Amino acid sequence: MRTGILPAVALAAATAVAAAAPPAPAPTPTPAELARLTLQNDLLQKQLELAKAKEFYLVLDPQAQTLTLMFRAALLQQYRVEALEVGVPRVVYKTRTDVSRWEGRIWEKGTLDPARELDRVEMQAPPPTPEGTEVEVKVPQTPEEKYPVPPRYHIRFAGGLSIEVRPPDTDSTRGFWARLGESLSAWFADAKAASQSEPTDTVRLHVVLSKKDAESLYRALPPDTKLLALPPRS
Amino acid sequence: MDDVYPPHRGVSVIVKPPGRRIGVVVFALFASICLTTFLAARGTGYTYGPAPHGAALTPPQLPSDPAASRKLLAKLAAQNKQFATALDKLSPAGTYVVVDQTQNRLYIMNDDKIVRTAVCSAGSGMVLKASGSSKKWVFDTPRGVFKVRNKISNPIWKKPDWAFAEEGKTLPTNPADRFESGTLGKYALYLEDGYMIHGTLYTRLLGRSVTHGCIRLGPEDLQAVWDAVPVGSSVYIF
Repeated sequence: MRTGILPAVALAAATAVAAAAPPAPAPTPTPAELARLTLQNDLLQKQLELAKAKEFYLVLDPQAQTLTLMFRAALLQQYRVEALEVGVPRVVYKTRTDVSRWEGRIWEKGTLDPARELDRVEMQAPPPTPEGTEVEVKVPQTPEEKYPVPPRYHIRFAGGLSIEVRPPDTDSTRGFWARLGESLSAWFADAKAASQSEPTDTVRLHVVLSKKDAESLYRALPPDTKLLALPPRS
Repeated sequence: MDDVYPPHRGVSVIVKPPGRRIGVVVFALFASICLTTFLAARGTGYTYGPAPHGAALTPPQLPSDPAASRKLLAKLAAQNKQFATALDKLSPAGTYVVVDQTQNRLYIMNDDKIVRTAVCSAGSGMVLKASGSSKKWVFDTPRGVFKVRNKISNPIWKKPDWAFAEEGKTLPTNPADRFESGTLGKYALYLEDGYMIHGTLYTRLLGRSVTHGCIRLGPEDLQAVWDAVPVGSSVYIF
């Protein structure tokens, strides 16, 4: 009986001592840990802000190589980013703007350039009769016919950031002369945009999407879209 | 022996006609202008580089006291959890529908994954002007998020005024004359504001923007939506 009680008493005593002793202090967080959490919170807060707003928004994640169209925290479309480069204007080799601070902030009022024009057709109803009038119905164009997509287009946001969407250079559907012409006109447009007193785009994200995705994004992008570019996470 | 010809030794000066000299100078000037312009143009425009990775984070102001540091960590962790939960609450859970109204595609989604892609027809964007009055109707599919309010099989369509105007018919005096069966296909999912996802008699027009604002589907895709999408689900139209 004694032998049975002793271990129980010892265990109870040890438990009591352990409970009474102050707990070992948690390790002091490192600056990197705090910085990581602060950044994460900031991004979550911004995503929450976007999800509560009435506008559609794009989330560019360079690390995951995705460009996602979202609304109220719902994923609507996701495009695979094949390549991403950051461009800044320069005049005679002199860079004009600072490339930093484009990540982790919300850019607003994204609009397509060239714009996707909605061609509204107005129809006059025939004068009403009891038996009705046979109206000739025209078969409308398909979206592909209705909205031709330029080989290079921009989504411009207020504040100077733009996304330049291009299909891969390996796109063989366009001939040599067509590509040369496009390159020259693109260079001319860029030189003009960069040398203005206030450059058209202070930061330009050159995003390469597959031809299909680039066309789909152009046709589908709602007006006044917002953008959040995620910074790299550790 | 001194009469060696030529009488002068040393540098001989070749005198060229002045016209040729000017030509060389002009050519050199032109070439240098071209080169300068080319180089200046080459350095003008947009210069691209890889997206920066591992950008330096601005470290927060760290308290010197370890206890205060731990307190800050706990506060940040709590905030993190709060934001993540709020974001999670806003995002749709389970099945939802996405409609790309420009490209006439409907997607049945489940937890951010596409379960089925369907060719649909959305609003034509047409404006119909009534005859003899200033009334007009715009046939747009609205953008935004809507809930599936109701699901009806073998729906009967209550024709609105524009349907009569479009066909050049006088408005019926008997309300029963507005009802038409078969037009909406086998099923209709009612969203808000009178918009629906329904079937069609004109399947050859699927993929084109032809409707008066509703979303039309072919019979097989409509069946799939009917089976997969419960009442209360969200429909996102963009």
